[in-house]
Amino acid sequence: MKLFKKITFTALAAVFAVTASFAGAASAAGSLSGKITVNGSTALLPLTLQAAKEFQRMNPKVRIAASGKGSVTGPQAVKKGIADIGACDWDASIDVPGFKAFSGQVANKVAVIPFATIVNKNVGVDNLTTDQLKGIFSGKITNWKQVGGADADIVVITRAFGSGTRVNYQAKALAGGDIVKKEKNYKEVGSSGDMKTAVGTTPNAIGYIDLVYVSGDVKAVKFNGVAATSDNVINGSYKIWAYGYYMTKGQPTGAVKAFIDYVQSKKFQQGSLKKLKFIPISAMK
Amino acid sequence: MAQQSYEPNPVVQSIRTKAVSGRRHLRHLLANTVARYYFLFSILALCFVLALVILFIGKTALLLFGQVTPAQFFLSFDWTPEEDRFGAAAFILNTLSLTALTLLISVPVSVGMAVLTAEIAPAWLKRLIRPILDLLVGIPSIVYGYLGLTVLLPLLRRASGEGLGDGLLAAALVLALMVLPTIARISDDAITAVPRKYRDAAYALGSTRLQVIMRVVLPAAGRGILTAVILGMTRAIGETMAVVMVIGNTPQLAKTLFTPASVLTSNIVMQISNVEFDSTWNYALHMMAFLLLLISFLLILIVRFLGRKRREG
Repeated sequence: MKLFKKITFTALAAVFAVTASFAGAASAAGSLSGKITVNGSTALLPLTLQAAKEFQRMNPKVRIAASGKGSVTGPQAVKKGIADIGACDWDASIDVPGFKAFSGQVANKVAVIPFATIVNKNVGVDNLTTDQLKGIFSGKITNWKQVGGADADIVVITRAFGSGTRVNYQAKALAGGDIVKKEKNYKEVGSSGDMKTAVGTTPNAIGYIDLVYVSGDVKAVKFNGVAATSDNVINGSYKIWAYGYYMTKGQPTGAVKAFIDYVQSKKFQQGSLKKLKFIPISAMK
Repeated sequence: MAQQSYEPNPVVQSIRTKAVSGRRHLRHLLANTVARYYFLFSILALCFVLALVILFIGKTALLLFGQVTPAQFFLSFDWTPEEDRFGAAAFILNTLSLTALTLLISVPVSVGMAVLTAEIAPAWLKRLIRPILDLLVGIPSIVYGYLGLTVLLPLLRRASGEGLGDGLLAAALVLALMVLPTIARISDDAITAVPRKYRDAAYALGSTRLQVIMRVVLPAAGRGILTAVILGMTRAIGETMAVVMVIGNTPQLAKTLFTPASVLTSNIVMQISNVEFDSTWNYALHMMAFLLLLISFLLILIVRFLGRKRREG
């Protein structure tokens, strides 16, 4: 019993000592303090996590908690007051197909996200036009030979309704056209990872994904004759891209503003953000 | 009293001596009380969590019927939430047919395996098979799902000539593999528990081994096997991750084995992260979860009922 008490006491003492030393270190630098909660898009999560790490190193009194789910949960969490920042793949302060505007929220651009149309490696087609894509995703074009490929059924893989990738792809690549479900050769997936696996393992499949995910088993096809590359996004010739936004309730203030400023700063945009394969917002005209 | 004529029992005497010591007595009393409250607390904590689950899912779910009629929800096949059409009939029917198909595939095989391990296999093989089955029960479902996606689907595509391969058949095959060890192990125990004298009597009457198994052992173990089947069924109904990877996730009735479709679980997991908190769509998904809860509850009641009957029999 006595031994046990001793051990408990020692452990408690150690915990206090460690906490105290951390607190001491924290008060040494940085004038900003507070807690920032970021919810929303998984596509922007790697960017948020990296920025949070760097920002907290400079401002040790600020704590940033970030988590990712569907894009729409970002502005929702801000509306409910659960989060200070809602990461979203579209501008949630205006109406988009399927989702109403979140009034009173301010959209802060933080990155440019390029998307690509992808096909299984066995597909011979390497360029598709807006009209061809509209035909394919609305179910009017069902065979690859109709768009210059081999005689094989087209297998459509799409993200579930409400996905930020889907919202942007429909708006930019399909010019607002619908994605229509079919009785066969049609499948919905829940994440970018699943999209890549499904298109990669299904012959004759077509889908769409964030450009950063394109590698290995899937092939990015040209859009209206333009290859899906960061350079083509920047020079304006490749059109399937969107801004990633941090939604805030009104104009950001205090630590939240400082954090968003940091994410938008040249240092972060040209450094870590580029390394994560996003495109700096300043690159777009 | 009769006790007086015996020699004092040393154990009884030592207990008495202890009881005489007041501090010890007090300590035992305290320990008993503390233990009682601890056990009470444990069970109350469980009840509390269960009540919370039912309350919160149920509460959100029932909000649905303020905006959608039960008739539409249960009878309509049109699930187009973006245009406010919430018919869940396709999901309910798909869930039931997927479960039925799964059992159709897994029950004969797993009962066969149980007969092998309990009746036919030599002791060393039993010692090998049982731990392997136990291990299979513990494999995370996402692993089965991934195998289904990368191994089973290409095979189905080649065999059927379909472009995609996703659908009820693929999901049922993956689920059958998942519930197989559960059903086999519990059936195995049920068969092993059949008294030896039944078999001896049957052999004495000149039965062959097949006759003994089919006409004596299996009927005698019948209720135990049924319990195993129902437990497998609850696992199949509630399974999500493995199903979502191979079923195609398209909200429509599965008219063929290869129609990309969606069941209650897979639809919930696909859509829950993309819906707004206070929307009819969210309530509809909660209602689907509540429905699953009710179905499992019903099945567990059946298991308990059968178990009681068996003890009486």
